[in-house]
Amino acid sequence: MTQLLTILLDGMSYGMVLFIISVGLTVTMGLMRVVNLAHGAFAMIGGYMATVLVLKLGVPFLLACVLAAIAAGILGGLAEMTVYRPLYRKGELPQVLLTIGLCFVAIAALTFFVGPTPLPAIVPAWLDQMVDIGFRLYPAYRLFLIVVGGLLAFVVWLIIERSLFGARLRAAVDDPQMARSVGMDVSRMFTITFVGGCALAGFGGAIGAGVLPLEPFYALRYLVYFLIVVAVGGMGSFRGSLVAALAIGIVDTAGRYIVPQFGGFLLYLLVFALLLWRPNGLLPPKSVA
Amino acid sequence: MKRVLAATTIAAVMFSVSAASLSSAHADVVKFGIIMPFSGPFAVLGKQAKEAVEAFQKLNGKTVNGHEVQVIWRDEGAGDAAKTRQFAEELILREKVNVLGGFALTPDALAVAEVISEAQTPTVILNAATSIIPRKSPYFIRVSMTAAQYISPLGGWATKNGVKTAYTMVSDYGPGIDMEGEFTSSFEKGGGKVVGKDRVPLNVTDFAPYMERALQSKADALFIFAPGGAPSVAMVREFERRGLKQAGMKLMGSGEMQEIFLPSFGDSVLGAISSNHYTESNQRPENIAFRKALNESTGREAVPDIVAVAAWDGMQLVYETVKSLGPKFTGDQAIDFMKKQTINSPRGPISFDPKERDIIQNVYVREVRKVDGKVINVDIATVEQVRDPWKDNNPNAK
Amino acid sequence: MTPITQNPPAAAVPAQSFKPSMLWHALPWALAIGIYFIADGYHGLGTNIMIWILFAVSLDLALGYGGIITLGHAAFFGAGAYCAGIFAIHVNNDPLLGLLVATLFAGLLGFITGMLILHTRGETLLMLTLAIAAILYEAANHARWLTGGDDGLSGIRVAPVLGLFRFDLWGKTAYLYTLSVLFVWFVIAFFVVRSPFGRSLDGIRQNAKRMRAIGTPVWWRLVAMYALSAAMAGTAGALMAQTTRIVGLSSLELLTSGVVAVMLVLGGERRLYGAFIGATIYVIVQDLAGAISPFIWMFVIGFLLIIIVLFFEGGLMGIIDDVVNRLKGRGRKDQRS
Repeated sequence: MTQLLTILLDGMSYGMVLFIISVGLTVTMGLMRVVNLAHGAFAMIGGYMATVLVLKLGVPFLLACVLAAIAAGILGGLAEMTVYRPLYRKGELPQVLLTIGLCFVAIAALTFFVGPTPLPAIVPAWLDQMVDIGFRLYPAYRLFLIVVGGLLAFVVWLIIERSLFGARLRAAVDDPQMARSVGMDVSRMFTITFVGGCALAGFGGAIGAGVLPLEPFYALRYLVYFLIVVAVGGMGSFRGSLVAALAIGIVDTAGRYIVPQFGGFLLYLLVFALLLWRPNGLLPPKSVA
Repeated sequence: MKRVLAATTIAAVMFSVSAASLSSAHADVVKFGIIMPFSGPFAVLGKQAKEAVEAFQKLNGKTVNGHEVQVIWRDEGAGDAAKTRQFAEELILREKVNVLGGFALTPDALAVAEVISEAQTPTVILNAATSIIPRKSPYFIRVSMTAAQYISPLGGWATKNGVKTAYTMVSDYGPGIDMEGEFTSSFEKGGGKVVGKDRVPLNVTDFAPYMERALQSKADALFIFAPGGAPSVAMVREFERRGLKQAGMKLMGSGEMQEIFLPSFGDSVLGAISSNHYTESNQRPENIAFRKALNESTGREAVPDIVAVAAWDGMQLVYETVKSLGPKFTGDQAIDFMKKQTINSPRGPISFDPKERDIIQNVYVREVRKVDGKVINVDIATVEQVRDPWKDNNPNAK
Repeated sequence: MTPITQNPPAAAVPAQSFKPSMLWHALPWALAIGIYFIADGYHGLGTNIMIWILFAVSLDLALGYGGIITLGHAAFFGAGAYCAGIFAIHVNNDPLLGLLVATLFAGLLGFITGMLILHTRGETLLMLTLAIAAILYEAANHARWLTGGDDGLSGIRVAPVLGLFRFDLWGKTAYLYTLSVLFVWFVIAFFVVRSPFGRSLDGIRQNAKRMRAIGTPVWWRLVAMYALSAAMAGTAGALMAQTTRIVGLSSLELLTSGVVAVMLVLGGERRLYGAFIGATIYVIVQDLAGAISPFIWMFVIGFLLIIIVLFFEGGLMGIIDDVVNRLKGRGRKDQRS
């Protein structure tokens, strides 16, 4: 029983990191219909930024994560206005390739300027310890990830489900043509959403560095996981991405714990089967359901 | 339009002809072609090798007896064996290299075996650590290490120092499996018991489930091996974070406890035991000179690793060869000469097993300690002149 | 009709009536044969380029002509490579037989997976292709006894081609062997995309619903094209295995799928010859940039991709078309209509 709970906690904390990073991707992919393979690069840049802030300038961990989120958001905004905007009219292949190109440039730049070694961990001492959770000692950092992920999920839910902007956003995801024809400034909405998504990714890259270690190849190494979250959850679906991220975290962790030889295998097989069964993911938005 | 295309064709033809003739023009240039990764997940290995080679040439000059030693680099990328083979062919045929070298990973070295055999090109392995490699071609010589070699003292040391049970966790590929086997046999020979083992796929970086299994095993020590970079960093971090240390488990490793990676872990890695053939902070004059040259060449406080020291010794080997044999030599002459060398390396004295063309060197058991505010490895035991045990156990494996 | 354009309309009537313009098709092949005689030491590079061309043309069939968005084409490349390698080690080391077996195996794999996944579209399809490649990767990684796992499959011995031509170190045999195979596959691809079957895929790509409405078996057509493309990719993989005598897990990686797509777009999709230019440029840039400073090539390829996608939609072939048309004093749009 305690084993089961441990697996659940491990899987959830891992899943929360995936969620924080991927939620922006699912919204932008759902809204803009852009296959964005460079999303991981924004998470990576956020992580690098936070690491530099903590190690070189002595900025406190949480503040560094927030600053990293802001930096990643600004960078995302610039990218959206320059290279992404012309992409909306194009097919999936140009989108795939341009965003792979962005990944390559980001990887090369970080290798060149920061170096190819993995970065030191920046998890502060107050988090890097064990706490008693009743049935065992458990890493505080992982509990912290679950809490932060939960809080963020709640905030994003408030924005998407309860604010005017969120209502517009959902409308635009469900029926972009209609949204445009009733006079919404969809283009501005794209930019804001993209900035938000990149900021979240940057935050996730920074805060989750203890689970997904930072190195220049980060952008491609974890990309498949981010994409799986989006596809399994249903593109554009906020709730879907939360469910999918947690499920993937738990299934992957449980698989590796119980049948370590077939861990990776299991996840891909399940994803494959699930997408065959429900091509639009678990909780697709109305436009594709 | 047709004329333009014809012109282009002729230009292309001329280009390739002139390129081909240029490369064979200089006779007294000795070319050393090195294939290492500079992009992809193992890029750090290429960088380390390159810095060491540049430092070597800055210190010792680019010429030997008036013959220029020219190093030509190729990027093998993310461990693409087919590309490595193609680069080897290209370096041999087009650049006409006299000596080939490099190879971060075992598949890359295996990929060139056939090529160097046919071309009779002496080839210096600078990293790849699976035992069998030099048996795949008579033109291989290894200055790095074998996995079994540099882990062999660890099991024995552990049983003599109060470790009765151990859990092993290695990356699921050649060197990892060699290490698991060697550690297990030496540990059990000393009376220890391996209570559980995991082989982790190379692309995994969340080690929580594996560490949890290790924790539940309640072994006295955890033996780990993962190639340098993200996997090994994540492995050690999860060991700390999950409280295996608090539970009293001793961390024993190999390559992941190199000084270059220690800053990625933080202080909680203090006390970890590792076994390695090069201790970065050792006080041999050769090592002090090596680190000084490296600092001066890179312009910063550079931390060498096992690839850097192998590249440094590889250069030494090539320079010695040119010094004695001149700029022109056959593959057989070069290998014959190289395997008889004894070098005072920064890691300690090294020589070669003449039959296997594999390295013989000291192996050090070290502990991670904080000295003058810096986290470094400190030697706590030395086993001198270690041969590759795998070859002695498998005398006829091909 | 201008001679240079490879646009489908230009060749709507297959080779029944000879036109001088058709001589242009001989150019790349003449160049390839010419290079064989003059470029000693470059045969390995040339072979590598031709294998990537074949792989990129196979992707052009699925992605360009079929409109099947995929990021998992390495699955078939890798499957062909492993199949050829394993076949040579355990069954028979005749290269042509091995090539045939690997091609059929990859084609069958494409047929089966195509039947499963081709009822989906867009990002879901993208993810499914990705998952297939990932599953094969994990399978090859686990089946160490068969594939060598992370150490790669080595020890492949290949008999002389037709019992006559040994694979030499200089790579001359490999070069001509690869060139011949590429030529055969290219001719097949050339006629397929101009056949009624190929034309119907044009329709499906542009409007699947309408094609379905007029009675075209859309799904079967896509599966057929996908299987053909997979078989071709399998041949490319098998050639890689036979000419380098080693197969690594990287042949199944996401990066490999990405690289081949990059090559295709660099050259220009739906042009067949685009793959020629794209693969050649990519491999040579990698080679040159790698020789100057190995750090540079990822920068170069990355920037090149961004610029191509943003400013030159037809890839390098598109630029060539534009230049040619401008020289002819006519706009490209007029050509198309």
